[in-house]
Amino acid sequence: MEKTRISSIQLFLLLSGFLFGSTVILAPTRGAGNDAWLALLLGGAGGILLMWVYATIALLNPAKTLVDILKEKLGKVVGSIFSVLYIWYFIHLASLLFRNFGEFICTTTFPETPMAVVIGLLAIVLLYTVNSGIEVLGRLSELLVPIIPLIVSIINLSLIATHDFTAFLPILENGISPVLNAAFNFIAFPFGETVAFLMLFPHLNKKERLKKVVLLSAAVTVLLGIIIFFRDISVLGSDLIAHTTFISHLTSLLIPGFNVEPLVDINLLIGGGVKISVCIYAAARALSQLAGISDYRKLTGAISTFCVVLSIWIYENVLEMFSWAERVWPYYSLPFQILIPLLLLLLSLKRKNKPSKSRRES
Amino acid sequence: MAIVLAVFTVLIFYDLQRFIRNKEQARVYAIYIFFMATSLAVSLLLASGRRPSSPSQWIEGALKMIGVLK
Repeated sequence: MEKTRISSIQLFLLLSGFLFGSTVILAPTRGAGNDAWLALLLGGAGGILLMWVYATIALLNPAKTLVDILKEKLGKVVGSIFSVLYIWYFIHLASLLFRNFGEFICTTTFPETPMAVVIGLLAIVLLYTVNSGIEVLGRLSELLVPIIPLIVSIINLSLIATHDFTAFLPILENGISPVLNAAFNFIAFPFGETVAFLMLFPHLNKKERLKKVVLLSAAVTVLLGIIIFFRDISVLGSDLIAHTTFISHLTSLLIPGFNVEPLVDINLLIGGGVKISVCIYAAARALSQLAGISDYRKLTGAISTFCVVLSIWIYENVLEMFSWAERVWPYYSLPFQILIPLLLLLLSLKRKNKPSKSRRES
Repeated sequence: MAIVLAVFTVLIFYDLQRFIRNKEQARVYAIYIFFMATSLAVSLLLASGRRPSSPSQWIEGALKMIGVLK
């Protein structure tokens, strides 16, 4: 295994950047309307629980990546099949993120530029980052991820005069069902996607801090999500939110006097960049481990090229992208994010509680 | 179409000369060729306006077939 190490603060920022990722433009809880804050709280609680499961799996199998754990717990053949499925999942996730980024930039900032060019240029930068290694990615997140809450604060404070603080009322106007649906979506996107970090957790230098780091980053994301929701709903209102494609972008356009629109682009570029880099890294590492290749960097170029092509191929238009992310993604992700990790957790706990052969003999 | 071919030629030429210089294992070539050939084929189809059904549609179809989605 690579002997690179990342500190707990770097992992915290990587996780926070990953969780924030494209959540800022896709707003997974938009289905709950003005009760989205409840969905954020419920989904956040579920998400924290899910990330705790991932952290526990990593702690029960120290210095092992997801591929090692799958092979050890499920056997070489079944483990390898599941590893291939996870490699596909990480590649697919990176492609969806590329497309989110491309759609956003081509709709709001560069409407005349072909999407393939926007996505391709981002891919070149991210390929360079991934090839630089996990330590560089950690240091980069230390430098860039703190900008995200700063930008959120700037936009929030700029809109303080135009707030309607009762816009989120009445509570549960449409019943609990849309809230539960939105909460489920919020668990799958973005919390469940942190399963990719099972390829990164072995690099943490102080393993005893893993659970604390994971829980803190999840809590920070939920808090940031709630702040952004209250900002958007009190500025735009629930009707306008329901009909808006990119909510945060529209909110940033309403600031009187100056243009902060590029700040939302920067937030997406940082969060999305971290998320795509982690996904490409996880896919390349998993594939190199599975194929017995010493250095994952040999595969990053081909994987990134495939991700770019897949991102153009995957949806016909932006509406299909939103619809698929809301209707299909949570169910498609269920085995990768919940079922297989729960199975791994059970098998890891069983192994831990089983008395060793030598102890039984004595 | 010509742009797609040019981009892929540059990418493959750049990577392959590196692989040959470092005397990489056959499996590296196999994985590389798989990803690049798939990417090139899909890119050419997209460039010629004949978009094949995407993995998203396959996944949605599969979920509908097993009754997860309506």
